[in-house]
Amino acid sequence: MNKYITASLLLLGCIAYIFLSNDTGSARVFVNLITFAGVYGLAAIGINVHFGWTGLLNFGHAAFMGIGAYTTVLLIPHSLGREGVIISTGLPLPIAIIFGLIASALLGLLLGLPTLRLRGDYLAIVTIAAAEIFRLLVRDFENLTGGVYGIIQFSDSLQVYRPNFVDVISTKYDVSSAQLWVAILTWISIVLVIIILSRLQKSPWGRALRAVREDEDAVRALGKNAVWLKLQSFMLGAAIGGLSGIFLVFNYGTVQASTFVPVLTFYIWAALILGGVGSLGGPALGAIIFWVIIAGTDSISRLLFESPDGQQLAGVRFVIVGLLIMLFMIFRPSGILGKKEELLLDVK
Amino acid sequence: MSNNILSVNSLTKSFGGLEAVNVENFQINSNEITSLIGPNGAGKTTFFDLITRFQDADSGSIFFKNKNVSKTNSYMLARLGMVRTFQLTRVFDRMTVYENMQFAGSSIKNEGFLNSLFNKTSLRKDEGNLIEKIDDTLKMLNLYEMRNAYARELSGGQKKLLELGRSLMKDPEILLLDEPLAGVNPKLADNILEIITNLNAKGINILMVEHNINAVMKISDRVVVMAEGKIISDGKPDFVRSDKKVIEAYLGSSDE
Repeated sequence: MNKYITASLLLLGCIAYIFLSNDTGSARVFVNLITFAGVYGLAAIGINVHFGWTGLLNFGHAAFMGIGAYTTVLLIPHSLGREGVIISTGLPLPIAIIFGLIASALLGLLLGLPTLRLRGDYLAIVTIAAAEIFRLLVRDFENLTGGVYGIIQFSDSLQVYRPNFVDVISTKYDVSSAQLWVAILTWISIVLVIIILSRLQKSPWGRALRAVREDEDAVRALGKNAVWLKLQSFMLGAAIGGLSGIFLVFNYGTVQASTFVPVLTFYIWAALILGGVGSLGGPALGAIIFWVIIAGTDSISRLLFESPDGQQLAGVRFVIVGLLIMLFMIFRPSGILGKKEELLLDVK
Repeated sequence: MSNNILSVNSLTKSFGGLEAVNVENFQINSNEITSLIGPNGAGKTTFFDLITRFQDADSGSIFFKNKNVSKTNSYMLARLGMVRTFQLTRVFDRMTVYENMQFAGSSIKNEGFLNSLFNKTSLRKDEGNLIEKIDDTLKMLNLYEMRNAYARELSGGQKKLLELGRSLMKDPEILLLDEPLAGVNPKLADNILEIITNLNAKGINILMVEHNINAVMKISDRVVVMAEGKIISDGKPDFVRSDKKVIEAYLGSSDE
């Protein structure tokens, strides 16, 4: 139970830090932070299915997030960036989201089919490359995706569902109602996904994935189709990533090619490692801590530089996140919520 | 139909210029313990891998229960009843002994994604049906006390036993054991030999690769000797023991 106490204390500390370090607009900072934390947490849960459950090294999560987001946004009313072409018809959002998730899962299938037969490292290489190819294609197919100018004016499809109480709360605490709505939906999704995954984790399917993670050849020798199990896991994790990508772009209100850069994937990995690979709630907790660190670097930067510019801020962020991951690797490689007995970060 | 369960014709495999396996003709007769011996590098493990389809042969054909399985996937072959173990023991380290056994025993249907997500009652029943079999097997292997330990906490010999137990969950018709006694203390080795003999008495065909000649001679019905990828001798233990070719290639140096 000790680690849950640690986790709770950390969470309380994080919230306290936000409200103590921001004299004005702390509620606004808080909502902004939990929205991003939710999105990253959901994405990290997807990677956790890949890596923590099945041992698949996916370094291209941004592509799964991106294709889910782009598919959804393009299917609902939106306008294309530079020319401002307005497409005012489209599918209802829930259906568009389902298509988005399917698109992510299909990309998983597409990448998985040729690579999952090979050893794990190949998948890592292919996913990195695929994520970059995806981003560059999105940038260059300007007619479809808006390219670097991106897609705008699609948020209404989500905000029309916004219930009244969200507006009441946001007026009272002076926060963005649109963002609060995205945050609420993201965290509801996290809870639902965790419920589904906890069911799967205990099931024969989840057990089979763990067996694949441990030793694929032994899985085959016992009459199980390891490649198919890996594909299923890959598609499930990809779809979860797609869902997080959808929330990410609804949080921004826009989507450009630069939304899904490689560093996004690695931030999500950082959140996963901090929270605990293999645990159900760990990725979400890790994402909160990650985002508090990101927010906290601003005040640390102010100690180091008189008036830090964006580059200096980013530098300090990298240093602190990197240092923290190193410390975790040395002192708590299982992350905050990971099981010590199932230390999952020793890649074979 | 012939009474052999497994038969192999002109099976070859080369790595670069080296011919690792070149077996003209090889059969496993029903209900025998067959041992495959030979010096290091003779191609025994590669031959194993070819038969179980863990590696693709360059040419030749494999028949299992009179069915051509030369192109069958390894996992399909295991479903048909040909189950193997590995020279370097492969247990699922970060799963418990019990989970190792459960995974081996659970049906493919139960492991379906949708079944695991929705169909809980029939699943519980199926998993429940496994319990008795797992417990019996673990007791037979003296692993019952360890059932909740992580597999990586087991000793080397216990891991061998667990791998064997896992294979038994598949109700194999033929069990291919790659060095079941390697790295096992003499007492446990006797134990494993006894288990193998008992399994054979229950009707499971055994093909094993083993370096422990005394053990091989003691329990085998038939011994096959490989050297440089070819089968050079094949017969009852006494015949092989006195075969000149074998003594030259292998036994001569260690036994005489």
